[in-house]
Amino acid sequence: MIETIQLSKKFKDKTVVQDVDMYLDQGESVGLLGPNGAGKSTTISMISSLLKPSSGDVKLNGESIIKNPSDIRKVLGVVPQDIALYQELTAYENLKFFGRIYRVPKDQLEDRIQHTLELVGLKDRQKDLIKTFSGGMKRRINIASALLHQPNILILDEPTVGIDPQSRNYILEMIRRLKVQNGTTILYTSHYMEEVEQLCDRVYIMDHGKVIASGSQSELLSILSNEDTISVQLSKMSPPLAKEVLALEPVRQVEEDGDTLKIISKKSSNIISDLVRLADQHQVKIINFQMVNPSLEDVFLHLTGRTLRD
Amino acid sequence: MIPVFLAQLAKERRHPVILIVLIAASVAGTVIFTGGTQAPTEIAIFSEGTQSEAIEEKWETLLNHNSELQFVVSNPEDARESVQQGQADLAIRLTETDYTVITSSTMPDVAVAEQHVRSVFEQEAVIESALAQSVQPELLRTEIESAIGDPVMQMNVSSLGGDELSGYDMKTQLIFAFTLLTAMFMIGFRVNNILKDKVYGLWDRMILSPVTKTGMYTAYITYAFFIGFVQILIVMLIFRYFMNVELGDRFDLLLIVLAIFTFSMVSVATLLTGLVKKPELFYAIYPSVIPMIPIISGAYMVPGTITNPVLLFIGDLFPVSHAMDALLDIVMYNATLQDVTQPIMMMILIGVISMGIGVNLVERRSV
Repeated sequence: MIETIQLSKKFKDKTVVQDVDMYLDQGESVGLLGPNGAGKSTTISMISSLLKPSSGDVKLNGESIIKNPSDIRKVLGVVPQDIALYQELTAYENLKFFGRIYRVPKDQLEDRIQHTLELVGLKDRQKDLIKTFSGGMKRRINIASALLHQPNILILDEPTVGIDPQSRNYILEMIRRLKVQNGTTILYTSHYMEEVEQLCDRVYIMDHGKVIASGSQSELLSILSNEDTISVQLSKMSPPLAKEVLALEPVRQVEEDGDTLKIISKKSSNIISDLVRLADQHQVKIINFQMVNPSLEDVFLHLTGRTLRD
Repeated sequence: MIPVFLAQLAKERRHPVILIVLIAASVAGTVIFTGGTQAPTEIAIFSEGTQSEAIEEKWETLLNHNSELQFVVSNPEDARESVQQGQADLAIRLTETDYTVITSSTMPDVAVAEQHVRSVFEQEAVIESALAQSVQPELLRTEIESAIGDPVMQMNVSSLGGDELSGYDMKTQLIFAFTLLTAMFMIGFRVNNILKDKVYGLWDRMILSPVTKTGMYTAYITYAFFIGFVQILIVMLIFRYFMNVELGDRFDLLLIVLAIFTFSMVSVATLLTGLVKKPELFYAIYPSVIPMIPIISGAYMVPGTITNPVLLFIGDLFPVSHAMDALLDIVMYNATLQDVTQPIMMMILIGVISMGIGVNLVERRSV
């Protein structure tokens, strides 16, 4: 349905996106995972025709959209990262505005507004001004504004940034329903790997403007098939201890998280005795020790040596 | 285009505070400042020496006779200090048969006052000269004053068309000056909505919709024109129908000039919007720049006050001076559309050039 070919974007001398190859099939849900500044927003701006690529192409059903962006705009709904709404107007007035600019037929507009408000769970707040809404409610109206013209493809740019867990769950559930009930193709960008794990059939992992890995979740996790992920809870965090653990021969990566060390080491390598010895040396007690199933976060850590939130 | 225009209108309807405040400021500003111009200008007079009291008493009566100016006897030091500190434009030092103008200003009101004082002294000198040769000086003075009050010949001044020549009216000028000033604020704030909506991502959302960019710009600019003109119209109607201010016989022509001014000012505001990066920066710069434009254009002053060619040139670059010329000609001299063609063309020219450059700059500006 949509594919990008060697998509690149340069701002002056800085390459923000480099040679990105991606594709999205009809009805598929694809995640674009990466830390802040990885180039996710620039990539989706080019896919949605807001930004012209420096090189490469974006194709919709085999036709380039660079010269004729109107084709993709008709079938596309974009939810920007920022709350792009009129704060001084009510939720209803905002949706009416977006319905009008998307030329939703007059006789259908009212029904569509009510249906969309119901979908985002804010029907009873439709007469309230946006500026009186909580962050989560604003995000939901932000999404609703992109749905009024019933797009086939929905691009969501970090739609859950800065909101409470309850609103986040509501939004994720809503997106899941859109995919299942309407067959909407979804491109979802986030730096929350758990959201991408929940929502997406396939994932592209970006870092420093490049796609560094892609595939289904199982395919990506298989990158770590030769490695174990060990979580060690300590009585207190000791950076010198973490440094010495990283120096152990089988250990590939060490991440400090509070008083817990996450260690990625070679499969079946026995590092426990070394860990106990080093902990003793640094006068730190090991409280808890467990082998954990690897996540996309671990894949990212493995590929870049950094966490998604770095 | 229409949905974008209607959204701007809906925002205004929900928050009409700025519109109401600016309309009130137009009316209040005019009332407050014209109240000041209607009060007679006070000029300090004083004399020094042993006969000072007699001299001051004599000339105070003569100078205040048939004068719109008010001459007030004052302490010499106070009078000089007021002039030195710029609190007064002038003071008059009197002697038995002569006077000295003490001033540090070249404002036209100094010349007007000096002309009046000179004519009073000249007349008195003629009378004194005649009285010196008369045996009945008191009778002669009465006869002379009576003759002056009922002269043999009278001069009537009329316009070229034979109509009565209208006098210059500062109140009318200030009505237009304040109305245009407050409209400039409103227009600027509304044009700045383009930048605001760009920063907040609404612009990008509109680009992804079937609305064309031309349609988007047209909607924002048309709205700024609409709200600016509505504000001006309301103020004009208040002055004309509620405050019974004489605005001439060509109200329709006034509105045409005001509409062209509004267009021109929308263009200038678009140009200024294109020069700044952020809407917040616009809010900081625009209110600082805009009040200077009517000052440079001489909108608050008696025509001819500003003579510096550089200031006149800068003033001519903005539509205010041209609008003021046209509006005052229409109200005070019953000018026709043909008579005000030149200022109208200048405003259209400023409008077209500023709009072209402004839209280009706004479009190139990445936020």
